[in-house]
Amino acid sequence: MASRIETSGPALAVLLLATTIAGSAMAQDCVATVPDSALVEPGKLTMSTNPTIPPMQFVDSEGNLKGMRITLGEELAKRLCLEPEYIRIEFSAMIPGLQAGRWDVINTGIFWTAERAGMMQMIPYESQAISISVPHGNPEGIASVEDLAGKKVAVEIGGFEEAKIKQLNEELQAKGIEAMEILTFDNFAIAYQALQAGQADATVSIDATAAEFAARGDFDRALHGLFPTPVALAMSNVEVAEAVRDALNSMMEDGFYQSLMDQYGLLANTEPFIIRGPND
Amino acid sequence: MSIRWDWSGFFDYLFNGFLLRGAFTTLWLTLAAIAGGLVLGFALAMLRLSPIRPLSLLAQGYIWIFRGTPLLVQLIIIYTGLPQFGLRFSVVQAALLGLILNEAAYLAEIVRGGILGVPQGQSNAGKALGLSPAQVMLFVVMPQATRIIIPALGNSVNGLLKTTSVTSVISMEELLRSTQILIQEKFLVLELFTVAALYYLLMTSLWDVVQRRIEARFGRAYSSIRAPEPY
Repeated sequence: MASRIETSGPALAVLLLATTIAGSAMAQDCVATVPDSALVEPGKLTMSTNPTIPPMQFVDSEGNLKGMRITLGEELAKRLCLEPEYIRIEFSAMIPGLQAGRWDVINTGIFWTAERAGMMQMIPYESQAISISVPHGNPEGIASVEDLAGKKVAVEIGGFEEAKIKQLNEELQAKGIEAMEILTFDNFAIAYQALQAGQADATVSIDATAAEFAARGDFDRALHGLFPTPVALAMSNVEVAEAVRDALNSMMEDGFYQSLMDQYGLLANTEPFIIRGPND
Repeated sequence: MSIRWDWSGFFDYLFNGFLLRGAFTTLWLTLAAIAGGLVLGFALAMLRLSPIRPLSLLAQGYIWIFRGTPLLVQLIIIYTGLPQFGLRFSVVQAALLGLILNEAAYLAEIVRGGILGVPQGQSNAGKALGLSPAQVMLFVVMPQATRIIIPALGNSVNGLLKTTSVTSVISMEELLRSTQILIQEKFLVLELFTVAALYYLLMTSLWDVVQRRIEARFGRAYSSIRAPEPY
């Protein structure tokens, strides 16, 4: 019960556009390489995140941003000699906000797709796949994607998971399998709450989130590793993107990157980081 | 910075079937919620005005809770909290129930205000004619109270048309959620939200016309009778 309260707290908090300054003051002898003109706010690396996906990005009970991507963003800002600033916002607002110059970086685990890479500067830095979470004990006996036929499946609106579950649904229907009923929610906290209440038969999320909920004992991870896809940081400004790429490469060289990926059980990149365009 | 606006995308979405279905959902949700809210709200107003203290307190308590908490929280409790007590509502049922329960609290106060706005002398006159309390309410007070209630009721309908978008929190695919779903297709954010805004504007405008008709009907006794123009 306690864990459920903790997850619904941030869900309500993100409905407000809240700004949080994370991390400590930058080192004094540090010189920023990114010109102020390339930044949304001079001296700051402004990043958007939707902190409803433990353990990748979430708000702890003191209201502080935590998680793998938060740590990565803070380290990036440190290496760029900028102050990290996080904007907490729903995923659906991320791309329009980047285009409108509201933040420098989307750091929320956005999936790389050719379509998105044509609109933004994207640097893939981790690999993620999606999972199907089910109530404890898997009462519907879901063992393959075909078992989702006719089931109510909850998902966060606007993200890769929704796009992929809809794609899967169409593929299954083409094979003559009964359609799922896909329920879209504002964020994962409410999607999982619907699963908890028995309003949905399954919830679709990224592997790490489903594994985290499974580890807490709230839900079982019936399927995982579906649609493995690179996850990226997305920038609008080329100068910012190049600086982020160089900072990531320096993290790879000194081992910071590898140890962070290991800490969260994620598959790390082995090749140097690149800004991957739509045709790469 | 160049203006990012796609006219052909805008016009495509203006007559998009998926959005029209969303708009239709918004419309029927509003009408059903206002109808249900009026019935429950009228009952609550009667209880609230009742000389029997426990009944009045019951209505006051209801109004206190439902006006004092956000609809968003009420919807999440109805949709994901009540199933834990064996009460399971579908998305549509939960959305409708939340809107009706919430709206009834506001409408109860509007109805009560209308009833209190009819001078006491009217009731007394009714009683003097030998009408029962129910007859006084039905034939003397309510026809006059309705006239007072309608402008505030119109405000509620207008507000409710837009408030229905809150039901998207429990995955109800009304106009705003339909818009958000379509946005992911081509990321024409401003174009799609503008189309949605136009739909809302169209619906609130239609309601304005209806409301004016209803007001004219119930205001007949108060419209001035003009003498014919002299030739």
